[in-house]
Amino acid sequence: MNGFTASLALLGVALLGVGGVYGAARALRSPAEPLPAGPFESGLEPSQHAVSRFHVRWYTVSMLFLAFDMEMVFMYPWTRVISAVGASAVIEMFVFLAVLVAGVLHAWREGALRWT
Amino acid sequence: MDMRARLLRATAARPHVLPVSTPGGTAARLAAERYLRLHDLPLALTPADADLLLVTGPDRSALRPAVDRLWQHLPAPRARAHAPTADAVPGALARCRADLADHTHNGDREGGGRDSGRGHEGHGGGMEMPAGLPMAGTGEDRDGLSLDQLHVSLGPLLADWPSGLTVRMTLQGDVVQEAEPSRQQLGDDGPAPLWAEPWARAAGGEPVTVEEAARRRAAAHLDSLGRLLAVAGWAGAAATARRLRDELLDGTPGAALRPEVRRFARRVGRSRTLYWLTRGMGVLDGERARAAGVSGPAARAGGDVPARYRTWLEDIVGDVDRLGETAPLDPAEEGPRGGGVGERWPSAALVRVLPELLEGAELAAARLIVASLDPDPDELAAAPQEVGIHG
Amino acid sequence: MVEAAGWWSLLVAPALLLAGAVLAVAGDALLAARDAGRPRSAVAAARPLLEVPRLLAAQPRRMPAPDRLLWRLGVVTVPVSAVLSVLVIPFGHRTVADLSVGVVWFNAMEVFTWAGLWLAGWGPNAVFSLVGGYRFVAQGLAYELPLMFALITAATGAESLRVGDIVAAQQGLWFAVWMPVAFVVYLAGVSALCFLGPFGYPVGRDIASGVLGETTGADRLLLRAGRWLWLVSGAAMAVPLFLGGGAGPWLPAWAWSSLKTLLVLAVLVWVLRRLPVLRADRYVEFAWVVLIPLAIVQALVPALVVLNR
Repeated sequence: MNGFTASLALLGVALLGVGGVYGAARALRSPAEPLPAGPFESGLEPSQHAVSRFHVRWYTVSMLFLAFDMEMVFMYPWTRVISAVGASAVIEMFVFLAVLVAGVLHAWREGALRWT
Repeated sequence: MDMRARLLRATAARPHVLPVSTPGGTAARLAAERYLRLHDLPLALTPADADLLLVTGPDRSALRPAVDRLWQHLPAPRARAHAPTADAVPGALARCRADLADHTHNGDREGGGRDSGRGHEGHGGGMEMPAGLPMAGTGEDRDGLSLDQLHVSLGPLLADWPSGLTVRMTLQGDVVQEAEPSRQQLGDDGPAPLWAEPWARAAGGEPVTVEEAARRRAAAHLDSLGRLLAVAGWAGAAATARRLRDELLDGTPGAALRPEVRRFARRVGRSRTLYWLTRGMGVLDGERARAAGVSGPAARAGGDVPARYRTWLEDIVGDVDRLGETAPLDPAEEGPRGGGVGERWPSAALVRVLPELLEGAELAAARLIVASLDPDPDELAAAPQEVGIHG
Repeated sequence: MVEAAGWWSLLVAPALLLAGAVLAVAGDALLAARDAGRPRSAVAAARPLLEVPRLLAAQPRRMPAPDRLLWRLGVVTVPVSAVLSVLVIPFGHRTVADLSVGVVWFNAMEVFTWAGLWLAGWGPNAVFSLVGGYRFVAQGLAYELPLMFALITAATGAESLRVGDIVAAQQGLWFAVWMPVAFVVYLAGVSALCFLGPFGYPVGRDIASGVLGETTGADRLLLRAGRWLWLVSGAAMAVPLFLGGGAGPWLPAWAWSSLKTLLVLAVLVWVLRRLPVLRADRYVEFAWVVLIPLAIVQALVPALVVLNR
């Protein structure tokens, strides 16, 4: 069984399991008619829809994360060629990471990670 | 025996309970918490997770709409009960569980939530008002950015919260921009609040021993700590605090309690993680506290959240050492939330300082700040309404 | 050494994962019983399983204007990605598929959960749920990079992304011994993924159980099962990555795998009850300024060792 078939088959098994849970709930729940409910707001009525643009802090951290994460994907193939390429591979990767960390430190000093 | 009946029996064997405690019902709340703890009935925090709605304490008409709204949102199978006093709790829960297991009874409950306020299928004006609700509007934040604002209230009915207290907040994301506490005018002339009762009796000239007062005060602080630790998400320590509280109220002798209370105080008081997570929050210096009329541990601590919980812990250890003293209580001595001579219901002052402490805090920090002050709902119900706090 | 097993493993692997989750839940119930002063018994340990029939029997709820598609998608993603992650986790000498990019596969599955739980918080259109979803995003932004570095550190030590090679590279000395920082960071990252105990920030009591607050029935069952499945999967993956896989004297490899997994699981379940919830306002800064540089320095160690090998 090659990796591709195996992963698809496992996905099938997982989805069957999830489908089984939903099927069992559908067969067993009663009343099956959904209850018209509202969001829990400490016993009061909500005064507006909750879905909204969230606080700006998340956006700055997300940008920082994306920048770092995209670059980090390079590290996966890099792990396989360290001894083949030699010392230059290690030096280049860690200089690169040092640049990224310098970026993080700059963002930190600018308050991008300040949460309150 | 069909499948459905079996499922209902399984639900009734371990139902999740949504407890609602009304102001003035601390004794009933304690009885319910003990029952749930000993019988392994999990607490539900929202109606979605609940099978039983248990109202403990006197019937409060001001809270009735909120209780009914919670009940409407409970999915079937469900049951509700009201236990006005501590003695009524076990019976009420047993009755509810029997109701849950009885499928003939549960089958015809489907219509329960029909009148839940609004028509949910878009009967308010089309695109702009889906489900009859407006979208969040924008407003300026402290840095001049225009951000979405949500208007949310904490309370009146929320787990680990002084029930009946409502703090209306304007949130940007999860940052509190504005907070306005209000409490219902309940005009209560009933019995004294459970935690302050020995002091009230002593002031009335009745003989009260130091032991009784120390026991009550230590239990009150453990109750507050249980709430604070639960809000801080430390389930294990919160459970220990509540167990020790119940043991104190049961009259367990001091010698038996002392080692465990000390161990608990050490574990929580010296926890670096808890300190790291709460330091610098809700700073209320002693001078400002006293100016606002705050007395008791919050004023003595004169600092942030850790200062307040450490003051509680010191008081608890001191009080447990005093168990066994038979001298009469001096009614001028400080009660669990302070007071004594100056003010009869010190919890009202704790609510008064809330707005300035909550503004700018995060939602989680706001919960911790309220829990670290822990105004007593019984005292709030008994205290007269004052100017500046809207009903 | 590690080789792909037959078709039967497609059923056995999820079954083992589920069995591990049941054990973890039972262990957690015993610890809870001790804290609450209840007797500890087999019945006390098994009682949480009553949740399954309870949730299957529950009536569905209809929220005002929910995002039904994303909500459902998010709920399903959490347990499904947990099950998919076991694809590459060896049990003794056997694994479902020993992918040449096994470590990346595990990483990818775990990233699905970060997205899934946020969607589950967004879906119901409720304030506390939404706040919980965003809290999980903050948690992900803080822990995902250190966790990736931990995975990469182990891969660097073996110069391979194949989990079987990583196990083989630990003959003689476990990675946990000379990569302790990566090991601890890995365990913390995996626990953060499970939103249990101190990482229960997105489902905190202070926001009325946040992401879980408005879910009922099968949705709730899947989300709650998903977090325990992930905890077991994380504990099981720690064994090939850091604890030498199925290697050990006397016992067969599968026995060593299960023993080590159960031990890691027991430690996690115990530790997770011992701490208060860690909040974003404290750990985001900590994760970026302390954990990430530490994890990078740790990744340098195997890189230098490999270079001189």
